[in-house]
Amino acid sequence: MKLAKYYPLIPVYVIYLALFLIGKSMPGMWQLVAMLAFYCAIGQAFNIFMGMTGYVDFGYVAFLALGTYGMALSISSFYQVEGLGIGIIFIGLVLAVVMASLLATAVGAVALRLRGAYFAIATIGVNEGFRYFIEGAKIWGGSEGIIFSGPLTEAFGREMASSLSTFWADAAVLIIAAAAAFITIHYMRSKIGYALTALREDEDAAKVMGINVTKYKIIAFITSALFAGLIGAMAWALKLTYVFPPEVFDIHYTVECIVIVLLGGAGTLLGPVVGGLIYGLFKYWLTVILPGFQLLIFAPIILIIIVAFPEGVVGVLKRRVKGTALEKYIV
Amino acid sequence: MTLLRLENITKRFGGLVAVDDVSLEIEAGELIGIVGPNGSGKTTLYNVISGVYQPEEGRVIFEGKDITSLPAYRRAPLGIGRTFQIPRPFSSASVRENVAVGAMFGTLAGKVSVDESLKIADHYIELVGLQAHQDKAAGTLTPTEKKLMEIARALAMKPKLLLMDEAMAGMHPRDIDEMVKFLKKVSEEEGIAIVSMVEHIMRAVAGFAQRVIVMHRGAKLVDAPTAEALSDPRVVEVYLGRPSGEVKHASGGEP
Repeated sequence: MKLAKYYPLIPVYVIYLALFLIGKSMPGMWQLVAMLAFYCAIGQAFNIFMGMTGYVDFGYVAFLALGTYGMALSISSFYQVEGLGIGIIFIGLVLAVVMASLLATAVGAVALRLRGAYFAIATIGVNEGFRYFIEGAKIWGGSEGIIFSGPLTEAFGREMASSLSTFWADAAVLIIAAAAAFITIHYMRSKIGYALTALREDEDAAKVMGINVTKYKIIAFITSALFAGLIGAMAWALKLTYVFPPEVFDIHYTVECIVIVLLGGAGTLLGPVVGGLIYGLFKYWLTVILPGFQLLIFAPIILIIIVAFPEGVVGVLKRRVKGTALEKYIV
Repeated sequence: MTLLRLENITKRFGGLVAVDDVSLEIEAGELIGIVGPNGSGKTTLYNVISGVYQPEEGRVIFEGKDITSLPAYRRAPLGIGRTFQIPRPFSSASVRENVAVGAMFGTLAGKVSVDESLKIADHYIELVGLQAHQDKAAGTLTPTEKKLMEIARALAMKPKLLLMDEAMAGMHPRDIDEMVKFLKKVSEEEGIAIVSMVEHIMRAVAGFAQRVIVMHRGAKLVDAPTAEALSDPRVVEVYLGRPSGEVKHASGGEP
């Protein structure tokens, strides 16, 4: 019984393992796998907040950005410290988590007292504000950002630095996605999940039932943010070895998160993974067949899917398998 | 000991006085009916007790403790449960999960695990007779089933005081009689004081309440044992108007 609650992780982990094996064994596939892993991971991280609470955070990409800065700062500041070795990566991850969580706490404590659309509006400002703050106050390299490919090479040697960027950073994103899936199912099966479902469906009724809605919203918000920080640290900082404010604070990524979660099925475990795969593959394919036109074609297709399947792919699937043996695996 | 005491509660919305200087007491295990026409302040009174609104004046005392400024979510664990006039299920969650939320965050909050909460939910779902629907999404239930689900959810909170808002409106008279019987039994077995608010179904009040509080224009008009209250000429006047010849103002029309 205790273990049974984690059965829904099986399909998720099978997909991640398959991605890894495909990328490792088929030449030329690693970049595609890395991209899919990234979309699955941000989908899962974003789903912990948007899917479970029903709130949309338009400033979400700021958490990825701060994670990126966390890693960049660690590598560019500590690369000459003797004996740290791989430790600077860990310091980077810790910084990423701490910075993303701090911002989430600050934003959450204020903005999460607002309802629905007001929250969404307030969060748009956070993202843009933070970007202009970094550029205007000229901290962390200001508008020029931080380039740390040199320090990375100096700290680890050419070969190791290259394998960190081209392999380990992507592999780590898969591991982060797997961890996010674990936390998601853990929340779903605990008091937190019940509280979040209740407040998503009817916040006032939830309060009268004894649920401290602000507390649970903040828990989901911080959890979601810290995963975003980790993803930023790996998929953006360590992989690209530079950070450039207009790129990491691009609201486009928040929109991608929303699309992935809605496509796959908000509030489900498997949804963001399926959404990430569909979105990533489709985007990749459109980039190949019609470079430059992908957004133009993508927008109406997404509209149609979202209007036709408001519950998302996994939402529909869940209804289909209800009452069958598959029921306990598709959540 | 007095379970709940309201002392001179006044709640205003702008210029409108929704509840006007109301004081009342409820003893543990009591069965009380609150009646009054639409707009007489019944629901506002419920919202003040459950913490949705803060009153402008007066105090709310629960088990001797002043809870006037306590937020709603901290009142449920003390033992105040309620149902809503228009049921408010957590629609996408199953009936079982809905009821389990009650167990998890009510007076047992922090004392029961998720699995134990689900077991408690099973008990109350059976009690209200919704076993056949327990795995359905609560949003797909019929209105009557939703009301039953809300009652199960509120009972799973193991409250000391249960506030029911028009739980029997729209029900068949036979179902009302059954519901009244059920509520009396639950109150006795679990020692819950139940306050049932109705607009005009006197059948539900007469069979259920030991004491009736009549609200009119935000104020408490009558607070007396059931038979006495329902035959009080002032109550008759609120509902039916004055006998002809005595008309000074129409009493039925509420703002």
